[in-house]
Amino acid sequence: MKELSALSLQQKTIKALGVNTKDAKISLSYLSVAFATLLIGGILGLVQGLQRAGLLELPPWLNYYQVLTAHGILLLLVFSTTFTIGYQYANLSHSLGGLLPKVRKLAWSGFSLMIIGVILVVTMIVLNEASVLYTFYPPLAAHPIFYVGLVFVVLGILACCFGVFINYRHWRKTHPGQTTPLLAFFAMGVFVLWFFASIGVTIEVLTLIPWSMGIVETTNVMVDRTLFWWFGHTLVNIWYLVATSAWYVIVPKIIGGRHFNEKLIRLVVILLVILNIPGGFHHQIIDPAISESIKFLHVFMSLSIAVPSLMTAFAMFAVFERAGRKKGGKGLLGWITKLPWGDVRFLAPMIAMISFIPGGAGGIVNTSNQMNQVIHNTMWVVGHFHVTVGMSVVMTFFGICYWLIPYLTKRKLTPQMNRLGVIQTIIWTVGMILMAGSQHLVGLLGDPRRTSFTTYGDHPRALSWIPYEYVMGIGASLLLLGVIIQVYAVINMMFFAPKGETTFPVAEPEDNALPAPMWTERWGLWSVLLLMVVAMAYVVPIVDMIVNAPPGSPPIKTW
Amino acid sequence: MKQFIYGLLLFVFLTLPPVATLLESIMIIHMHLQMPLLIFSGFLMARFFKVRFPAFFYKWNRNGIPGILLFSIILVYWMIPRTMDEALTVYASEIFKFISLPFLAGIPLRDSWRKLGSVSKNIVFLIFIILFILMGWLFIGVDDQICNNYLRVDQITLGWGYVTLAACMIIYIVQLIFGDQSEFE
Ligand code: HEM
Ligand SMILES: [Cu+2]
Repeated sequence: MKELSALSLQQKTIKALGVNTKDAKISLSYLSVAFATLLIGGILGLVQGLQRAGLLELPPWLNYYQVLTAHGILLLLVFSTTFTIGYQYANLSHSLGGLLPKVRKLAWSGFSLMIIGVILVVTMIVLNEASVLYTFYPPLAAHPIFYVGLVFVVLGILACCFGVFINYRHWRKTHPGQTTPLLAFFAMGVFVLWFFASIGVTIEVLTLIPWSMGIVETTNVMVDRTLFWWFGHTLVNIWYLVATSAWYVIVPKIIGGRHFNEKLIRLVVILLVILNIPGGFHHQIIDPAISESIKFLHVFMSLSIAVPSLMTAFAMFAVFERAGRKKGGKGLLGWITKLPWGDVRFLAPMIAMISFIPGGAGGIVNTSNQMNQVIHNTMWVVGHFHVTVGMSVVMTFFGICYWLIPYLTKRKLTPQMNRLGVIQTIIWTVGMILMAGSQHLVGLLGDPRRTSFTTYGDHPRALSWIPYEYVMGIGASLLLLGVIIQVYAVINMMFFAPKGETTFPVAEPEDNALPAPMWTERWGLWSVLLLMVVAMAYVVPIVDMIVNAPPGSPPIKTW
Repeated sequence: MKQFIYGLLLFVFLTLPPVATLLESIMIIHMHLQMPLLIFSGFLMARFFKVRFPAFFYKWNRNGIPGILLFSIILVYWMIPRTMDEALTVYASEIFKFISLPFLAGIPLRDSWRKLGSVSKNIVFLIFIILFILMGWLFIGVDDQICNNYLRVDQITLGWGYVTLAACMIIYIVQLIFGDQSEFE
């Protein structure tokens, strides 16, 4: 009883005080960087889309691969990372009753480190010293400062990881016998995964720095690629975990429902964390130097991620149906009409979830050996990750903005802003369908990805791609419009929307729900299991790559 | 009883000739997947024997020490490269592997682990960590081909498998020591 009243007291203080302004400043700073990056990245995206269709010629001081490197790094690394940290720290602050002062300090150090890192990286790209694309693995070699910049970014991420771990431990110590609030549990999952993901890329980048400086002559390309995808693949699933945190916990509240069984939700998080990293091998299905049997085993590793994903799909539809029926939805599908489609806070993540269906199906194509041979390095892949990341993840992020930013700035979401958000969502959806759809199709016709405009001497095959590339250009134009509206909405909600109170929409469990079991909090054990899975997956191929290594590669600059 | 059935099914699956041949074709999978799975099958089947013959376990393994000793002896025996090599060529040795690991290692492990105090548990961990590091060092460092049936690169791979396994165990112990275990009850 005493515990219960202490709990409600804490919740009351959170309610009375609203957001902690010091914590809000952290989140808002990260979010500002995120949306500034989105604007630049979006402009570069349109430039690329038009150049590829032959509709735009770049000036002599700028080449396609510079633009592509910047677009990939800014959107995939910087935008998603900064948004995630801003959002997750807000979740943590809200659900644990404020950040500790030293955690705030860590978050700010992480912020500075990341800004320094991004400035170094972007400068090198602008100077045309680092057109190595966002995957930055050898044999393409960038200027050493580019890699140093990446080290700063990783250090920034690690600072944020430790911040979350420290706050979590503190809360656990002061709340014996209680399970952590669900959003904080998700935050632990996200940052534990991030911590272990960073190990791979750190080792890679540290070997690349002396190599790019000429101190060592060659590097083992296969090992570096493997370490990159250890990180790159995991990063994608970190965004996905971030998006699911909103799907499971936030969206049910917005539609007036309850969240799904907490034990299952926690199980999904734990499975995603433990099983994730070895999935990286599905990016290397065409790589030589990995034996067939190992690739075969990795199909299972990669598909095992489908298990928690299907659990998520099932849970979400159950939640929607229950909420819709409670509001009087009748018949087999009547509940669908009862959902708040006119509310951008629901519409955007809902379309994001729906787009995960074609996204997941495409992913199964990519991870199947034979089909991968057809689509590998074609525009299909570009279409695939614009659906998965550009829709499923990014639209969830956009939807989050419409309550998170007013909450953080103590303002209100006005009906006009909501309407603008709905329009933005529709524009983005249509734009992505046009762009990613034509990318999928033209990929099947053999149009290569990462290739500046060319007709290969007017080869009929290459000419047949051009109509699709026009559609891509139209989609890209709509998307830039979408970016501009989104950035406008963010600025408006940060500085101009009317003052007021916005609640943090956290769903409650069903009335008869059982409490979540305590064993789900064994992060030490989950980390050890994660490492065991990594060891099982990586020891055999990496030893093979090193013991049977070909002569290494010198740094190569193709541009 | 469900556990017994699962354990038995796993055991039967592992004895199927194509499965056994596949798992034994790669050195590290032979030692670090097939053998642990055999032990695990015994671990699952143990329930049945404990229910059926409680007096036996009470009489011979009251404090868990004899059981864990038997487990350790069997495990160490199968860590000797020569025995693994023989299992591939001498039929009797292969049969002994399939009997000893589930029934003489898996079952005693299940019976003993609960009975051991935390000090004995830590000693067991410590011994195996040291052993695994030594085995890793041996397999990585030795310049000769130790087994007739496996190449040197397989040997090095297995060595790194031992080292990573030891590392995972160390991390597990460290988090046990520094984490507050009572909070999970
Ligand atoms: C305004 C919206 C966007 C447009 C118009 C756009 C357009 C494009 C185009 C045309 C390509 C080039 C494909 C190639 O030559 O291979 C591309 C690549 C890429 N885009 Fe986007 N995109 C947009 C948004 C996004 C978002 C939101 C993300 C991720 C958060 C993203 C991530 C990427 C990545 C990672 C690449 C691959 C770069 C590479 O292959 O090195 N894009 N995009
Ligand atoms: Cu992947």
